[in-house]
Amino acid sequence: MIEKIRAALKTCGISLWRINETVEETAELFFVRRQLDTRRSKDVHKYEVTVFRDVEGVGRGFTSVLLTASMEDGQIEKELADAYYAAQFAANPPYALTDPVQAPRKEKIGALAQDPLARSAGRMVRALFAPDTSEDAFVNSAELFVSRKLVHILSSEGTDVSYTDAGVNGEFVVQCREPEDVEIHNTFEYDELETGALSAKVEEALTFVRDRARAQRILRSGKYDLVLSGNAVGTVLSYYMQRSSAMAVYAKYSTWQRGEDVQGADVRGERLDLSLHATVPYSVEGIPMEDLSLLREGKLEAYHGPNRFSRYLGVKPTGSYRKLSCGNGTVPFETLKKGPCLWAVTFSDFQMDAMSGHFGGEIRLAYLIAEDGSVTPVTGGSVNGSILEAQRDMTFSERRYVTSEYDGPYAVRLPGVSIAGTEAE
Amino acid sequence: MFEIIDRVKPGLQKLVAALRETYPYASVLAVADDARSWSTSRGGISISSPRMFGGTGYVVRVFDGEGCAEYSFNEFSEEKIPAIRETLARRLAEQTEALEGFAPLPTPLPADDPAVLKKESPYRVHPRELGDEAIVKKLNALRERALGMDERVLDVQAAVSYRSFRKLFLSEHRDLDQTLMWTTASLIAMASRGQEIKDAYLPCSALGGAEVLDEMDAGVEKVVRDALELLDSRPIVPGEYECVCDPSVTGMIVHEAFGHGVEMDMFVKDRALARECVGEYVASPLVTMHDGSAVDQTATMFFDDEGTLTGDTVIIDRGVLKTGMCDALSAARLGIAPTGNGRRESYERKVYTRMTNTYFQGGEATREEMVASVKNGFLLEAPSSGMEDPKNWGIQCMVTTAREIKDGKLTGKLFSPIVLTGYVPDLLKSVTMMSRTPELSGSGFCGKGYKEWVKVSDGGPYMKARIRLG
Repeated sequence: MIEKIRAALKTCGISLWRINETVEETAELFFVRRQLDTRRSKDVHKYEVTVFRDVEGVGRGFTSVLLTASMEDGQIEKELADAYYAAQFAANPPYALTDPVQAPRKEKIGALAQDPLARSAGRMVRALFAPDTSEDAFVNSAELFVSRKLVHILSSEGTDVSYTDAGVNGEFVVQCREPEDVEIHNTFEYDELETGALSAKVEEALTFVRDRARAQRILRSGKYDLVLSGNAVGTVLSYYMQRSSAMAVYAKYSTWQRGEDVQGADVRGERLDLSLHATVPYSVEGIPMEDLSLLREGKLEAYHGPNRFSRYLGVKPTGSYRKLSCGNGTVPFETLKKGPCLWAVTFSDFQMDAMSGHFGGEIRLAYLIAEDGSVTPVTGGSVNGSILEAQRDMTFSERRYVTSEYDGPYAVRLPGVSIAGTEAE
Repeated sequence: MFEIIDRVKPGLQKLVAALRETYPYASVLAVADDARSWSTSRGGISISSPRMFGGTGYVVRVFDGEGCAEYSFNEFSEEKIPAIRETLARRLAEQTEALEGFAPLPTPLPADDPAVLKKESPYRVHPRELGDEAIVKKLNALRERALGMDERVLDVQAAVSYRSFRKLFLSEHRDLDQTLMWTTASLIAMASRGQEIKDAYLPCSALGGAEVLDEMDAGVEKVVRDALELLDSRPIVPGEYECVCDPSVTGMIVHEAFGHGVEMDMFVKDRALARECVGEYVASPLVTMHDGSAVDQTATMFFDDEGTLTGDTVIIDRGVLKTGMCDALSAARLGIAPTGNGRRESYERKVYTRMTNTYFQGGEATREEMVASVKNGFLLEAPSSGMEDPKNWGIQCMVTTAREIKDGKLTGKLFSPIVLTGYVPDLLKSVTMMSRTPELSGSGFCGKGYKEWVKVSDGGPYMKARIRLG
């Protein structure tokens, strides 16, 4: 098929191109309680072809098309010719294409990459249900996706690299019926067979859902010292990742300069130490991916992003990252959540708007921790905070938390965050 | 276009027949896809083919002794039928071995009553016929006009997308063929003050083609004005207020707060409070809610991804919850008829119960009458996000703009961003006024949890209710 595409590109007179070939196999399991709802598997083989076209006096444009091996030769040529025609109307200022790279295939090793997918899925399912031993709080339903992928990137500039990858992700819902019938939705994603981590996550979720079942709707509106934990910490810090992207800087959505103290001058809490972590050997453009230092002591060290925007800014193209690492964490978690504070544990949907700097969401479970250390589980109400105000006073836990998209402190404390309660102020 | 479906159809019929030799039920869904997006902003001009629809591909569904199983693939010819049978059988055997000790969820075979259908949705101008040059030119013109309105505008992003697709569903007794096209367009105006950037959004959508671009001109001034006004917005004092929801906010409440709670795969999992409330008042008698293809919007279809013919489902009738919406597997498990709501993100993903075009019916009031009736409250506009909570019917919705109303008049003061919270039936029972004409918008996609994105539309009339804001 690659040769067919190359021949079609030549026939169409297309001299600048990139082919992203992907072969993916999955095993997917869906459960209601411990009963098997549906089993799925998948074999897909795709070729995404990006064609570039130079327009005199304007610059360089590109478009892409998705091809499959079932297509007839005439259809492949038609798709490519159509994309090449369209590319002239998407011309942007000129830039150099990605530097060529040739390298032997990088093979992912380990059980997840090498064992039969069904066996890996079985091991993760058993890990998921292992803590599900109680009558009062239990796993209501679960979904598990185990995948293995071969990625091959070729370009007209001479790039020819490939790698294999594997991952497991999914979600599970825990439920507790007494005293109030409640649930908590959880997601997980690992790049190894992390059976221990998954069991621990389910165990913790069962504890949380028991607490949610007895949580009271007594939260009063006002300003709180807010403790966020787990995925919410990475979500808040994603503000810095988005604002430092080459695209945001080029488009002037971000005014950040390298070397600038982007956390602000009057920081009273911890100064941020952030990195971007490479999770695949090559970006979709074939750029070799490496870990990148983003912020040191709150100062911006680098921009990051795909080829075009990086070229425009005159910086080294890094490719697009999906994992943020945070090196902060000075305080034991028990000290971090010393009362008075509100530790918000789960939300219905916690979001960060990197443009406005606002973060928030509806609280599914929080612990209201009083000055004397007494703890009251609460539910309802919402967080409505601003990173622009909170970034001066952030304190992070020593305890760590790792997912496929975040590696850093388990918790952060943000003083004086606005909370809309279920009771009047 | 989509001749590939005609070419592979005889082979797919043979595949179903071959699978039926082994399994008591077998079906196949074939999808051929054509999609393109155009956008222009400070980042440049972009023309791309969205990856999320997966291109052209196939998914077979069978029932064996362990229950329902599916296999997705994107390379097919008659010669591959033995290999597909063998792969499916081997994968099922491997999974059965790896899952020893886990019993299947009892599921009757889905209904397979005879049905034959071949239909296409209408459009006036196919985006491909209008052409890339004309579309980019139109987007650039809209953007330049908006940028020229005020120097405080940081950027305007103009975009249009369409998806045209053909789906063929074959089982032993069904032969269903539909070709549909939706098109969406949007303008996002951005204005900044220091590090804070505020944006306003103008969406347009249609079951149809590039004719939707004609609707954009009328909204340019408003979207710019909205973005600039937001620069002077302030945080709201949390509390419960009289609110007038514009049709888009009504739509978000319909969809996120209530609609997800009546997706009946959640009934099977004991994850929906609504299961206990069928036949009861869950809303004010002013509220009647529909889901389905009785309206032409982006989620209109003639049959769903399990081969169930679609229609109009009345979910709430004058305040009383009548039924949920249901996919075929869940319907078989619940012993009811499916409603045509079994939908997949693509042929690569599982079917779930999903909404289509979901909306509240109109009432008798006007927007002006509603505003005039509010002593101390807000006009809510521009929904930004929402999340379902079917188990507890908690509301988690965010809107960008709350316009203050005092003594029946808009004061000109803006508050942003706004989080809506509370208990869904409390909100719906507090509805006291509905305007006459529902308006639907299908600019976005809906997820199930945090994934499985499908095109939906939602909406309703202006609606007055008491809502907790924060």
